[in-house]
Amino acid sequence: MAGLSFDNFQRNKFLVSKGFGQPMATSTGTTIVGCKFNGGVIIAADTRATAGSIVADKNCEKLHRLSPKIWCAGAGTAADTEMVTQLIASNLELHSLSQRRQPRVITALTLLKQHLFKYQGHLGAYLIVAGNDPTGAHLMSVQAHGSTDIGEYQSLGSGSLAAMAVLETGWKPNMTKEEAMKLCADAIESGIWNDLGSGSNVDLCVMEVGKDAELHRNYLTPNVRSEKLKSYKFDRGTTAVLRSSIHDVLDVEETVITFGNDAMEVDA
Amino acid sequence: MFLTRSEYDRGVSTFSPEGRLFQVEYSLEAIKLGSTAIGIATSEGVILGVEKRVTSPLLEHSSIEKIVEIDHHIGCAMSGLTADARSMIDHARVSSLTHNLYYDEDIQVESLTQSVCDLALRFGEGAGGEERLMSRPFGVALLIAGIDKDNGPQLYHAEPSGTFYRYDAKAIGSGSEGAQAELQNEYHKSLTLKEAELLALKILKQVMEEKLDCKNAQLASVTKEGFKVYSDEATEKIIKELNEAETED
Amino acid sequence: MNSTVASEYSSEIHTTPIEHRFNPYSDNGGTVLGIAGKDFAVLAGDTRQVEGYSINSRYEQKIFNVGDDIVMTANGFAADGSALIDRFRNQLKWYKFDHNNKKLSVASSARYIRHLLYSKRFFPYYVSTLIAGLDDEGKGCVYSFDPVGSYEREQCRAGGAAASLIMPFLDNQVNFKNQYQPGSDGTEKKPLRYLELDEVLELVKDAFSSATERHIQVGDGLEIFIVTKEGVRTEYYPLKRD
Repeated sequence: MAGLSFDNFQRNKFLVSKGFGQPMATSTGTTIVGCKFNGGVIIAADTRATAGSIVADKNCEKLHRLSPKIWCAGAGTAADTEMVTQLIASNLELHSLSQRRQPRVITALTLLKQHLFKYQGHLGAYLIVAGNDPTGAHLMSVQAHGSTDIGEYQSLGSGSLAAMAVLETGWKPNMTKEEAMKLCADAIESGIWNDLGSGSNVDLCVMEVGKDAELHRNYLTPNVRSEKLKSYKFDRGTTAVLRSSIHDVLDVEETVITFGNDAMEVDA
Repeated sequence: MFLTRSEYDRGVSTFSPEGRLFQVEYSLEAIKLGSTAIGIATSEGVILGVEKRVTSPLLEHSSIEKIVEIDHHIGCAMSGLTADARSMIDHARVSSLTHNLYYDEDIQVESLTQSVCDLALRFGEGAGGEERLMSRPFGVALLIAGIDKDNGPQLYHAEPSGTFYRYDAKAIGSGSEGAQAELQNEYHKSLTLKEAELLALKILKQVMEEKLDCKNAQLASVTKEGFKVYSDEATEKIIKELNEAETED
Repeated sequence: MNSTVASEYSSEIHTTPIEHRFNPYSDNGGTVLGIAGKDFAVLAGDTRQVEGYSINSRYEQKIFNVGDDIVMTANGFAADGSALIDRFRNQLKWYKFDHNNKKLSVASSARYIRHLLYSKRFFPYYVSTLIAGLDDEGKGCVYSFDPVGSYEREQCRAGGAAASLIMPFLDNQVNFKNQYQPGSDGTEKKPLRYLELDEVLELVKDAFSSATERHIQVGDGLEIFIVTKEGVRTEYYPLKRD
């Protein structure tokens, strides 16, 4: 069976009406940004995944590869950004194979928006798509309902306002790669510090025209955990062994075979 | 027209030109008509002693209640219009219980006395808009005996005027003048509780018209064990001791 | 005639009335904990105040020396917390006026706070309240309250956003829950003992740095109030700010 199953739709609706809500999906809080520079495009993301107000993953990856030179940063429901990204990556590859052409960013974006629109916003994927293709470097974004944007700089996620504040302050046309990297990293950091949904490290991906995409995993790590002051090792035996049973999984038999002087029978 | 004294004692809250509140002063007179009550504070506890006027041989003496418990650590003796004391005692009991409810501790004796005295002036409207509760001042004075963790055994005298003072020893009622003079002679700081019991009865005996016995006198004490009214038997025993000691002299 | 003009807003016409409701409460995050020692007590809390995904302040005091060597905190809805503490401070002043400058004991404070909380039984202060100090014998004590005034004296208690993260840790490290004497095969519990102040401070700091790691509403700074017979003193340690 392919695709999504809607078998439980009616049951779930009934349960909600009785006060049993839908299970919480991880991560709605995130900061992701993208920024073009002279000769390429950069995307960046924080690495915090949350389930409600609990940090589910302190160092998750929000930068996904759609094709070798097209990457995307995802905010929203973690499962949706991952699945939708993998699906579109597959379709992009198939498309590229059938057309014998390098995949284009606009193609990825179109596939994404058509897929997301089909699901009427129920797939909670908010993506910044960027990369190089034969037509140049591109930076675009798509929202869960299927709307898309194109721009020189973008930010998405719960930390998008904090990040956009930095982007609006620091962005200028025709930046160098280094300037753009710094701007993106600063924008993410702004989200990390000022948005509770974002935190931990900065991941960054540089896609320069004519070069392989470079993923800088944990480009910045401004939130290294401090060492604990006390040791929490317990003395052996602190935990009670209430019961123990040993099961023989197989019977071991030993037989000693003595080799006589007669030569081994090799052939019957 | 010149107003005579009698015209200034009509309203309870009207000052006379000399600055006196006659109704309050009269209420003090009412106390002087009451039976004698004595309180003596020692380092071990406080003794309260009262005279009970058994006006008829047919009167059941135990129905005369002049010493009452306010809480386990506070007791009180009264003199004057004892019926007026009902509402004061009620108020005191509520104050003590409420304090214990709110603070999980015994109310201090001084605070308790203060709360009773707050009530004494409610024959007029309160400054905070409190309604007028009574038509006239109380006609009764209280000797409040108690013990608390901070200040030990204490004796307070509360008057209808709303003022109160702490005493080492105090007498109120009809025999108070003589009794107070005697207390002043006999009181000293190192008095024991036992000695105070004897002293209280001795003075009562002196100021009472009837012959002292367990029917017309009553003792109570507040020690760190709490408030206790002495039984007739216990009172009788102390009276006997007193009589023996006096015959020796 | 009972007809409506068809318009592009037709989908916005509701058949049932829409109920609008003012929500008087909000959640300002943060976490607090109290531990009682042999002759000391500590109350600790982070200094971050949040609303939604935003940080209102990286340093907002929420533990207070309310007087008479009693420290108090009310964590949850910040406005209710400060209102409750203000009211208690006020009452402490009145207590002194009414009772000859008497020192209010921690037990009496606890009882009074119960009444402050229960008096709003049907519109409660949305807070978990802790007070700490020394009892009449000079031993450390911590009292904890639920929002409507149920209270209890305890050896330790965590409250607020990360209470569910910290409390099991405290159970294990302060009251030695689930720890047995080695070699006793779970028949003999690890014997209880009072922790020293420096051990407690280490536990507190570890508890908060760990809560900061896993709870988004906890962080920025840690303020610890320490009550000893010498009085109340405070310590401050920075926490992660992400």
